[in-house]
Order: sequence, then structure tokens, then C-alpha cells
Amino acid sequence: MDWHGTATAERLRDTWKEFARKRNQELGCFLQLDPELGREGSIEEGPLAGVPFGVKDNIAVRGFRLTCGSRILRDFVSPYSATVVERLKKAGAVVAGKTNLDEFGMGSSTENSALLETRNPWDVRRVPGGSSGGSAAAVAAGIVPFALGSDTGGSVRQPASFCGVFGLKPTWGAVSRFGLVAYASSLEVIGVMAKTVSFAEQAFEIMRGQDPMDHSSLPWLPHAQKVGRLRIGVPRECADVPMHPDVKRTLQRTQSLLADLGHTIEEVSFPTFDHVVASYYVIATAEASANLARFDGVRYGHRALRADNPEEMMLLSRTEGFGDEVKLRILLGTYVLRSGFQDEYYLRAQKIRTAIRMDFEKAFAGVDLVLMPVYPVPPFERGGADSDPFSQKLADIFTCSANLAGLPAMSFPAAVENGLPIGMQFLAPAFAEGLLLEACRQVEKAFPSPDAPGYPKGWS
Amino acid sequence: MDLQELSTTARMARLSLTSSEMEKLGKAVEQMLQHFSHMKEIDVEGLAPTTHALLRENRTRDDAERTADVSDVLLANAPQREERFIVVPNVL
Repeated sequence: MDWHGTATAERLRDTWKEFARKRNQELGCFLQLDPELGREGSIEEGPLAGVPFGVKDNIAVRGFRLTCGSRILRDFVSPYSATVVERLKKAGAVVAGKTNLDEFGMGSSTENSALLETRNPWDVRRVPGGSSGGSAAAVAAGIVPFALGSDTGGSVRQPASFCGVFGLKPTWGAVSRFGLVAYASSLEVIGVMAKTVSFAEQAFEIMRGQDPMDHSSLPWLPHAQKVGRLRIGVPRECADVPMHPDVKRTLQRTQSLLADLGHTIEEVSFPTFDHVVASYYVIATAEASANLARFDGVRYGHRALRADNPEEMMLLSRTEGFGDEVKLRILLGTYVLRSGFQDEYYLRAQKIRTAIRMDFEKAFAGVDLVLMPVYPVPPFERGGADSDPFSQKLADIFTCSANLAGLPAMSFPAAVENGLPIGMQFLAPAFAEGLLLEACRQVEKAFPSPDAPGYPKGWS
Repeated sequence: MDLQELSTTARMARLSLTSSEMEKLGKAVEQMLQHFSHMKEIDVEGLAPTTHALLRENRTRDDAERTADVSDVLLANAPQREERFIVVPNVL
């Protein structure tokens, strides 16, 4: 399906806008859907001319609200656009709107949004995944062909997997974070969810590269591209993780498919596997407690009405403005950074992070890519009946190691089981996005992103 | 973590918790700390801590003047103001 001109050409625009409005009402993908506002500053030509895209609502787009799915930022309007948005606009793409998310990116279901409920296009009783759930649902529903997300511990790959689309988490620093609301700065990166590998690749190529506005962004230094037969490692420790039978079966089938495509499957070992989730949550919450200290009700965001002094105003504004999951992570992060506990938690987690990086270095000395599931279970039901917040955190086991090591990873649809999509992911050495995209393109030929019920045929 | 520790931590984080929140969040914090305690099982002797996986050097920008023309939008986001000043409760 050709998306060029969809948001701009007169004969396509109205059909598309009507479809987007209707589908969004049913699914709740967008917190703010406004393609007219999104066209401001977009040029009419370029490789993505007239292609609409979604932007997770923790990434700034000038003139749009930037809520982060939180009461504390419910009315905040972005004074400027993120570098990635500016670059995509210069390539002709048009912002369709701002997509729903778990508050500040904290969650795996998008149910932690304080502002909107998002449904999975495959089954509206189920979650779209998270935290970039609105973006994944919008792509899977056919409202946009690609959407931006942020991935701190799996927040691009897991919802992409839950919705049956591709999800690229780039190398840390490969894409500018200017304009991304900070949650855990050493882990997070802006990524893209897309219906096709080609859209993921185009968006990534436009977004990547050093940015003077983000001093942690790195120049694009691509890893030497390997062609032909690849050596693909599957961690031995995966087998010890409790997994739904559908996910286990999909992992096996994907290995057979890759072997059929001429690649070699090997076992690799990650001795740190059992400790990645603990290390991840110590570091992520520590960084969150510092990053979210900026929300104090003074210059922007929610301010408590009755406060006699600045200290009380700060205390009440934060207490009223943040949801439970955010409070939990701020408390945990504050605790692990307290003097007397730092060595036991934060310092130890950072040392484990070093061990995790070394595990990857060893693995990539022998193999070109690592294959893993994305999430141990298929998309779960809304309302928490079959997945509580604690087990959702433990389930980050397959995704968060890439963030701790700063490595790129890409999830791809690998099966539809019982009417629900199931994804797998490849992990690669730093700056080997080219290899990830090539491997996903090969898989895509055999198994393209399956169309969710109601996926559009076209706009003319 | 006992309630005293939890309330000290909450105060440091500038959060004010009701007693039912203390109970609910306290339980969730405890569950995570239990999980964190497994980190003791791994030998980290001799390993340097990683703060950033790929950041190699400190980079500075030119010490030059720049303009950003966003002050009006920034001020419009202020919860309470008088002309171009942001109002806060009395400090003294």
C-alpha cells in the first residue's frame, strides 16, 4: 500500500482522515489526533512526502500538547519540536498526532496512562503492550504506516510485538534525544514502529546521526555490514524462563525459518541472564527519581491549588500529579540512591551492567546476531486479570538487556497464534542496525506483518 | 522496608502518601527490594561500574550566544503568573 501523499493529496486526505478519526475512537491510539496542525512546517516533497506518522506523547512536537500520559502535564504545550520530528518533517512526513503511553513510559500495557485507554486492534479486550502502546496500535490499525516510540527497557519492541508490527530500538546515542522527556537517560532511545521493514529503515536513516542539541548523541559509524550466511545465537538461558507455549513454539519455528533461509543457529550463553531485570530496575528507577525531580509545580505542569509555602506546593503538586506506578518508581529510585544503600543497590547494579556488556561482547565474538523472544506471554487482557504490575516487570527479561548494554535490537512479527500476533527479536552489536534491518527483511519476505482485523486497503 | 523508612524516602522524593497509599506502595516497594536482593548472588569483584554503555568522552559546545524565541510559549505554560513573572507562594 502506497502511503505517499495520504496526509496531503486532496483526493486521499479526507478518506484517510475519516478512517483515522473513526478507528481512533474505537481504539484510543491518539491523545491528540490533529493532522492539520501536524502539517505545519512540513514540506511537500521528500522521500516521505505526505506520509503521516504518529509520535509518542513523550516526544515534543511544536504546538501539540506533551502530556507523557500524566495528569502533571495534562495541559502542557510543546514550545519546540524534537530533532527527530524536525528531521522527519524535512523529509516530507506529516505528524498525524500524539499517541498514548504508560505514564512517562513506565509500564508494559499502556494501562498506566492517566488520560486514555488504548485497545489492541487484534482484540479490543486486550492491551496493545507498552509503554509505546498508542504508537503500536496506530500502526497495526493502519492509521499510520510508522510511529515513533521510546525504548527504555523494551517499550518499542514489546508493543510492536503485541500488535504484529516491526519495532526498531537503535543503538544508544545513534538517534538524538533532544525533545524526548527524560525518564532513564542512560537507557532510553527513540525508536520506530512500522508496518514494513522499509518504513522502519527510512525513518531510522532520516532520524539518526549526531545532533548539536543532544551532547550524548553519537556520529553514525555503521558496523561493517556482513552479507550471506549469518551465525545467529540463541541464549541457552532462554529455556529456563517460564514462557507461554505459543511463544516457545514461535521461537522454535523462527529458528527453523532462519535455518531454511541459510543461516546457522548456535547456542550462546549469558551467565548474567537472571540478574538483568534487577539491575535494570535499580538503574532505571534511580535515574527516574532524578529526572522526575523537575516536576515541582513551579514553572509548568500541574500546581496544587492550596499551598501555604513553596515546599508544600511542590509536595502536593507531585502527589496529585503522578500516578501510582510513577510514585512507586520514584520511591524505589530515591531509596536505592540514599546514602548507606547506594553500594548495595545502585553501585552493584552498575557493576552487573558491566558484566552484562561483557556477556554480549563474548557472544558477538562468535555470532552475528542474537535471537530471543520479546515477551514471555502473548498480549494479555486489559484490567490486570492475568498480569499484575510485578510480573510485568519480571517479563522485561528478554528486552531490557539491550538497553543496559546500549545495543540495537529489532522485533518482528513471527506468528499469529489463536488470533494474536507473537513477535521475536534480533539483537546486534552497536551500530549494526543495517544487519538487523537486513535480517528482518529476509524474515518479512517469508512472513510479512499480518493485517489486524479492519486494516485498510487504500485511500483512493 | 519499614514504614518509617518508607515515609523518610517519600519525604526525600517530595511525595506525600496517605496511609492506604503507604500500605499499597510499601508492599510494591518491598516486593521489588526482595527481587533486588538477588543481585547479591552474583560476583562483581573487580568489575568497574557502567554509567553509560557507549558514552566515551565529555563533549562541550561552543561558548557562544544563541537565541531560541520560545519564551512566550514557555511562560504560557506557567501555572500562575503576573505579566512575565511566575508567581509562587510566599517563601518567607
